[in-house]
Amino acid sequence: MRRTRFLAGRLVSMLAVLVVISLLTYAVFFLLPSDPAQMSCGKPCTPDGLAQASAFMGFDKPWWQQYLDFVAGIFRGRSFGRGPAAVHCSAPCFGYSFQLNQPVTQLIWARIPVTFSIAIGAAALWLVLGVSLGVLAAVRKGTAIDRSAMAFAVAGVSAPVYLLGLLGILLFGFTLDLVPVSGYVPLTESPVDWAWHLVLPWCVLALFTSAVYARLTRGQMLEVLEEDYIRTARAKGLTERKVVGWHALRNVLIPVVTVFGSDLGQLLGGAIITERVFSMQGLGSLLLQAVGTGDLPLVLGTVLFSAFLVVLANFAVDVVYGALDPRVSETSG
Amino acid sequence: MSRRPSLSVAAVAVAAALALTACNANSDSDTAGQSTTSSTQKGGELTILTSSSTVTLDPAKSSNLAITTLGLFNRRLTSWEIEPGKTAQAVPDLATDTGTPSDDGKTWTYHLKSGLKFSDGSPITSQDVKYGVERSFAPELSGGLGYHKSLLEDGEKYQGPYTDGDLDSIETPDDTTIVFHLNVSYGDWPWIVSMPAFSPVPKSADAKPQEYGQHPVSSGPYQVDSYKEGSTLSLSRNPNWDQSTDEVRTAGPDKITFQLGQDDTVAAQKLIADSGDDKNAFQASFVPPAQLSQIQSNADAKSRLVTSDAGALAYLAINVKHKPLDDLKVRQALEYAVDKKAFQIAVGGSIGGEPATTLITPGIAGRQDYDLYPAGESGDVDKAKQLLADAGNPKLSLTLLVESDPVEVLKAQAIQQGLKRAGIEVTIKSEESDAWYADVTSDKGDYDLALASWQPDFPSANGNIQPLFASSEIGGGGFNLSRYSEPEVDDLIQQASAATDPAQAEKLWAQADKRILQDAPVVPLLFKKNSFLHGSNVQNFFVTPFPAYPNYLKVSLSK
Amino acid sequence: MRTRRHPRQFLADRWAVAGGVVVAGFLLVAATASALTAVEGQDPYTYHLDALDDTGRPVGFGGGISGTHWFGVEPLTGRDLFAIVTHGAQTSLTVGLAATVIAMLIGVLVGVTAGFFGGWYDRLVSRAIDVLYGFPYLVFMIALGAVVSAKFPRTWLVVLVIGAFGWPTVARVVRGQTLALKHRTFVVASTAMGAGPGHVLVRQILPHLGVTIIVYTTILIPGLIGVEAALSFLGVGVPAPTPSWGRSIGEGVGWVQTDPMFLVFPGGALFAITLAFNLLGDGLRDLLDPRSVRRRPEAGARP
Repeated sequence: MRRTRFLAGRLVSMLAVLVVISLLTYAVFFLLPSDPAQMSCGKPCTPDGLAQASAFMGFDKPWWQQYLDFVAGIFRGRSFGRGPAAVHCSAPCFGYSFQLNQPVTQLIWARIPVTFSIAIGAAALWLVLGVSLGVLAAVRKGTAIDRSAMAFAVAGVSAPVYLLGLLGILLFGFTLDLVPVSGYVPLTESPVDWAWHLVLPWCVLALFTSAVYARLTRGQMLEVLEEDYIRTARAKGLTERKVVGWHALRNVLIPVVTVFGSDLGQLLGGAIITERVFSMQGLGSLLLQAVGTGDLPLVLGTVLFSAFLVVLANFAVDVVYGALDPRVSETSG
Repeated sequence: MSRRPSLSVAAVAVAAALALTACNANSDSDTAGQSTTSSTQKGGELTILTSSSTVTLDPAKSSNLAITTLGLFNRRLTSWEIEPGKTAQAVPDLATDTGTPSDDGKTWTYHLKSGLKFSDGSPITSQDVKYGVERSFAPELSGGLGYHKSLLEDGEKYQGPYTDGDLDSIETPDDTTIVFHLNVSYGDWPWIVSMPAFSPVPKSADAKPQEYGQHPVSSGPYQVDSYKEGSTLSLSRNPNWDQSTDEVRTAGPDKITFQLGQDDTVAAQKLIADSGDDKNAFQASFVPPAQLSQIQSNADAKSRLVTSDAGALAYLAINVKHKPLDDLKVRQALEYAVDKKAFQIAVGGSIGGEPATTLITPGIAGRQDYDLYPAGESGDVDKAKQLLADAGNPKLSLTLLVESDPVEVLKAQAIQQGLKRAGIEVTIKSEESDAWYADVTSDKGDYDLALASWQPDFPSANGNIQPLFASSEIGGGGFNLSRYSEPEVDDLIQQASAATDPAQAEKLWAQADKRILQDAPVVPLLFKKNSFLHGSNVQNFFVTPFPAYPNYLKVSLSK
Repeated sequence: MRTRRHPRQFLADRWAVAGGVVVAGFLLVAATASALTAVEGQDPYTYHLDALDDTGRPVGFGGGISGTHWFGVEPLTGRDLFAIVTHGAQTSLTVGLAATVIAMLIGVLVGVTAGFFGGWYDRLVSRAIDVLYGFPYLVFMIALGAVVSAKFPRTWLVVLVIGAFGWPTVARVVRGQTLALKHRTFVVASTAMGAGPGHVLVRQILPHLGVTIIVYTTILIPGLIGVEAALSFLGVGVPAPTPSWGRSIGEGVGWVQTDPMFLVFPGGALFAITLAFNLLGDGLRDLLDPRSVRRRPEAGARP
């Protein structure tokens, strides 16, 4: 019961957060000097043509009306213009990009595979790499293994992703000619090519991020290994492998999962720099492009979508947290 | 229409139309270089690397050049003949000729060639062309090149076939004849009908007009296989296209794939490396300066670099409406203070362009070379300071509006440091290119200086002068970035445009050129050169003076 | 409870000391950048076209390294690279430190009050933090860049934006600690004895947050330096011609085959300073608070 109420409360606040973010985005873009209708006005752009384009896209209405139209569109869908040439954007309509001539949801949908491929692959890699390194360093505390793992970690976290990425492209792409330097191949087209094109971004992102996880895991592990229940487990004569591998790791994973969830949420919403460096057209480049061309509906849609992922990830973390941490589950039943 | 009296002058609209499409004020011109021009070999898969992530496939919404992407699958009434060593010409495409004027150039009649077919096998009729033009009037399909909209009779009121039925000023007396009735006499209508809106669109395929662009019906040698925004556009052969009806397309490759959203630097490096599939590729965007420098020491890559002749004018627009730039002495001081050498280096040195002192670009008939403000290539700081002193030493803290592209920002810095030598402070404000374009062409004009370049897309001095300096082009989408208004110049432009004797016109244009620079509304900086890079299997790749872009319609691959 | 380590142990941590020395070195360089480049006889703005060949490539060894140009010159402009890197240190550190101060101030203020007062205010703060996490500040930066007058110094705009988006992590942690402190005996006792909330906050709670504040400051600084560099790399950070390592790196990429030193100097500097701050921070943390659970500050432009 309490759990249900907790979940319901979280859902409501998620929604509130998304509404505020959408309003903020709207406000920011309304302040911009450039007229979103200008980009779709055609050439030559006559004042008549501009007014027509503006009315057609609904940019001539007051800002609050536009926002309400946007919200209504999510539930009812929207139409722009009249007659057979009218633009229809069926519910849930998160806006229509007049520059790209597609509903925003469709554009986002098309970009999801790229960003998700980058993010999920890299996340899996950095989680495994980071946690193993951290555990290894903690178990072998004070040895050369510990020191080199931590040296790797601190170096990795200090190198900006774009620098690593660019050097990676140069070394592995051009000089050694091992991997493709840019582009994305859909998984459905060729799984091998897909992975081959993603190897470099995965490694670069993982190298950077696993450093954080290694440090986090090591710190947690050291702490947990001194807890009473671990001592008990050891006293019971369990093998070290079982102690570390099950009892300790389970508790170490709690904070790791918290960080992981929100990192992954952020990355799923668009890996702006990675996509830029590797010429991949994911959600991050879509957002950059939308901002660059003043495509307000697209900006709003992409910002909302990535915010949704972040909020959702945080929500998921809360849920998983409850499941993983015995103390939390005890109190919340 | 009333706002643009100059539209009645033939070449103007075309020049502006092409200029806006092709270069958005940021492109260049002319060709010295070209790859081997040889007979076209058939076959192979061509890849085109481009930095833009979107292609607008609906002809009504497109502002493509006749010789680039849409030209591969959309034929129009006319097209452009772009061949190395020849002047650009409007030539027949679907039509049998470039048009027969009557009624003093107010009525234009075209006949379609026989045997023309769409990719679905159905015949192309004059009604299909008419329908294509009509749908470009629908506000729901706006965004394309629309110069015809104000030229066709009743065009201002017409809102497309979906709500307003037929447009009466386009007649189709039979399946192969189409007649256009214009508001005004318009000698350059043959150029207008080479624009994307003059591609045939079968009404039967247009049940959902918004979706037409996703599966356009092809009339050219290729058809659209698939288009993924931000990823690829794939074209394959259209079996129903007949080479014998088409003089402008050679249709070499079997397949053409556009790789969209490619980083310019990475793409150039791939082509320099020239391995694997990249041998069959060319880059549609300019080669960045760093790679131009790299190519100079790489003989193999150098042989695959195609650079145009000096063409488009890069210039610094001075907003004459802003104090203290309304003072001629101050503007003249800018003419002297600017460091053209630094600007040239910023675009890659002499391969990026040649210093300019005039407005009309080289290669245009009647152009006169002169230098009103002789200052050497690095400027004359003392002279500038003295002029400023004469003007009462106003405090100069100017805003320079540029596009946020790294090359543009670097150019802006070259200007900034040059002016600083004379004590003129410049703040660079960079904006994404669309925002920049909207700002410089808006009515407000809230900037002191702007960096721009202008391509004489129409091989006439008219295209250099009128769009940039006629008072009718200030704000409201016009490209008179200096907001320069001088009745004497407007008069000269009027006379020159109306002149029927070419020699007379040339003389008047040269006179206007000099007259304008006396008022120093702009600092001419550079006649730019465009450089493009292609893979080793790519043939028939050339860049002519006009329009200074590769002709996609002729590119082929060697076996 | 473990006993706190003695400062001497910090000195025993060679890496942390090395980090501290490098940080101090960079601070010195940043503070004296103008003087240093004056010794060299250069500045980061003057063009030296004579140091370039016709294509804009620096002439000579290592991108034009010489007695007059210690790190060589920048391609296409001929500006002195030593001056650019040292003044870039100034930019990086100014932005990094100033944004950190802003983020810490807001974060501590919001975190402490939210934890202490609780209730609707606390919930509001938590949601505000969620909003900031979800809102990509790159968008904000680009939009503000176009809206704010060109006369407003861009560097400070960058500082404000980075600072304004950097506080949530701090607030979250401080709030948690405040919650814990609130129930500790000494606070409860103090309140029972009639101390006002202001007194309790300032006298009882804030002093106990000192360690957390120091630790998070050391995490934030390199993080926010990285954010500035990333924004400048994307072309929306500190505007040209103000030297910025991030922008130089972005430009240097294209030149890496013809003039690698143009990438090596600014890239190396950025890596070195981030590494040094991280090493120093690790050392400090071990010294002050060996049990701290760390969370990386959100990288603003997402990786």
